[in-house]
Amino acid sequence: MVVKAVFAVLLLTMGLVQFEGRFGLAVIMLFISPVSVFSIPIIMALFGTHFGEGIGLEFLFWLSIPVDIWALGVVARTFFLERLRKEPPDGLGLAIWWRSALIGAFFVPLLWWIVSFVTDNAITASHSMAEMEAFRHLTDTGLPVAERIGLELTIWGSISSAVLAVLSLIGVSILGQIIRRMAEGSRPASENYQGLITRWDLMRVPADQGLLLTSLAGVGVVCSLMFWTILPVTTPHPHECCKKPDVEVEPVFKPSQSLNSTAQRVASLTAQIDALEQQQSDKKNQKAKSKGKAGGKTTEDSPAKAKP
Amino acid sequence: MDIKHSSPAVIPDHQPSAIEKLVAFLDERVGLKEMQAKMLNEPIPGGSRWAYVFGSILLFIFAMQALTGVLLMFYYVPTADHAYDSTQYIIHDVDYGWFLLSYHFWGSSAMVVCVVAHMSQVFLWGAYKKPRELLWLVGLALFGIVITFGFTGYLLPWDQRAFWATTVGVEILDKTPVIGDFIARFLKGGPTPGQMTLSRFFVLHVMILPAALMALAGLHLFLFRVAAPAGPYSGTKEEIKAKTDYFFPRQIWKDMVGMAFVFVGTCVLALWEPVVLLDQAAPDPGDYHPEPEWYFLFYFQLLRLKIFSGEFGQFLGAVALPVLFMILLVALPFFDKDPERNIFKRPIALISWIAIMVVIVLFTVASVINREFLD
Repeated sequence: MVVKAVFAVLLLTMGLVQFEGRFGLAVIMLFISPVSVFSIPIIMALFGTHFGEGIGLEFLFWLSIPVDIWALGVVARTFFLERLRKEPPDGLGLAIWWRSALIGAFFVPLLWWIVSFVTDNAITASHSMAEMEAFRHLTDTGLPVAERIGLELTIWGSISSAVLAVLSLIGVSILGQIIRRMAEGSRPASENYQGLITRWDLMRVPADQGLLLTSLAGVGVVCSLMFWTILPVTTPHPHECCKKPDVEVEPVFKPSQSLNSTAQRVASLTAQIDALEQQQSDKKNQKAKSKGKAGGKTTEDSPAKAKP
Repeated sequence: MDIKHSSPAVIPDHQPSAIEKLVAFLDERVGLKEMQAKMLNEPIPGGSRWAYVFGSILLFIFAMQALTGVLLMFYYVPTADHAYDSTQYIIHDVDYGWFLLSYHFWGSSAMVVCVVAHMSQVFLWGAYKKPRELLWLVGLALFGIVITFGFTGYLLPWDQRAFWATTVGVEILDKTPVIGDFIARFLKGGPTPGQMTLSRFFVLHVMILPAALMALAGLHLFLFRVAAPAGPYSGTKEEIKAKTDYFFPRQIWKDMVGMAFVFVGTCVLALWEPVVLLDQAAPDPGDYHPEPEWYFLFYFQLLRLKIFSGEFGQFLGAVALPVLFMILLVALPFFDKDPERNIFKRPIALISWIAIMVVIVLFTVASVINREFLD
């Protein structure tokens, strides 16, 4: 599960896969890929359902095949030794994997169709029941919203869950039958219980533990480096609804610069005012002078003008 | 492994490396090897199991929440006029800020899920029974702290969702008799949520709750080591003895796989659904319908039922029911004294657990459907 999940993260980071709304379902399908590896493409083709987009989803399923065969092999060998106390046959992981994948290809789409059909009809029926007159008379305004949702959900949820549980039980029992048949053909284990425990326990411990730890640490480092290298620095999903508002950035306030410029402006304005005042006083003086001259001339000229 | 054989002192011509010298130096002063032996050589009756991984996962999540929280604090400003802008800055401008915030957000959900899973495992395994009563009680206190972490952290981005979820939450607390008014006034710090509320929630979230969690988690681990692991609830003595193993290496391996799974799962959620803020907090909700975080949705929907309307109904739903439930959980190890631990031989416990889970799932889904009626 973890191996598959690590690859899912890397593919999500690279933008090669985008799970759709049925995220939980897609993840579950990925983790139970021994039975879903063939059935998912069939469901997508038959019912037009999508669990996600991008080449990454396809890649994940291809990658899951060897991982699942190995994991099924370890679990099945443990089960044979500990629970059934029988010798596990060779190639157990592959044998169980292809059988479960084949059954899944037929059974899971059938389960999908039946559960969808039952759920759709149960929802319609529960809607009709909630609108029945008997319920309308419970209160003046009909059944309150919260109660109505709860009631409807309980009705169709129970029916749908019961059908899903029964069909899942049938599917698991079919797989159980296959494993039981395989176990019938294998010989009983010779060791006592303690010996069997030691055997299946040692199956999980590699011969060269140092090599395993080093390679695991190496893979971890590579995955971490890859993750941080490809992870976008800024958010890769800027939702249309909630984009960051564009704000004009004000220039940085520098007190000394601002003071200097203010002082300069004050000085220039003072100089301008001084110049204006000077100009005005010059004008006044000139006016006064010209007035004086004009006054003198009149006094000088007037008697002459008056004389003749 | 025999430590003496690998010790550099025993092998005559062995020149200890720098690391060996450092380990020997520390061991002489701190008792490193003894501590390591005590921590790792804890016998687990019946051997390691995947069901036991949740406690270690919770410690890991807390460490990750602390790390991402500290990194977020470098940029977050806990004031009413800057909290929203600084959170937007983290999302849009800080390198990988969107990922850190989204990881922190989904990490809190992972913590709640793992706490419920851990409590369910302890309950179903009957591991709360004698002599582990105190362990159970401290675990309940830790559960309360985790929930409070989620509640206080929800306000910090200071958007409409945060503001109104907190307003509704504080109003629910206000309904508690005698102390409700004091708690609500203490949390809000005024008639309406504002700067004082944000400051108080911030201090609770980054100082008081982490300190309380660390202290109680330490006590929880101490009590766990004193009482020893409960082991499986079924199997003969011979089978359990045959499978008994030490904590290291198999349980540690399983714990590490569990931690890796949670880490990767949280990353997937952060990548798939990164945090997006709504409009800045305002006293007018506008078109927004206040709603708490998803793990409180079932309770929110439960309170919408007609039975919980009116003065008495509100008291019943908001105070009496949760308090009664917590009292039941606290008293559980003291009234359930039957030593039988097999869950299939404890029908009342099994039915109660299933009923609680069904109610949680049913009302959470109902709350999601209810959104259609509000829009």
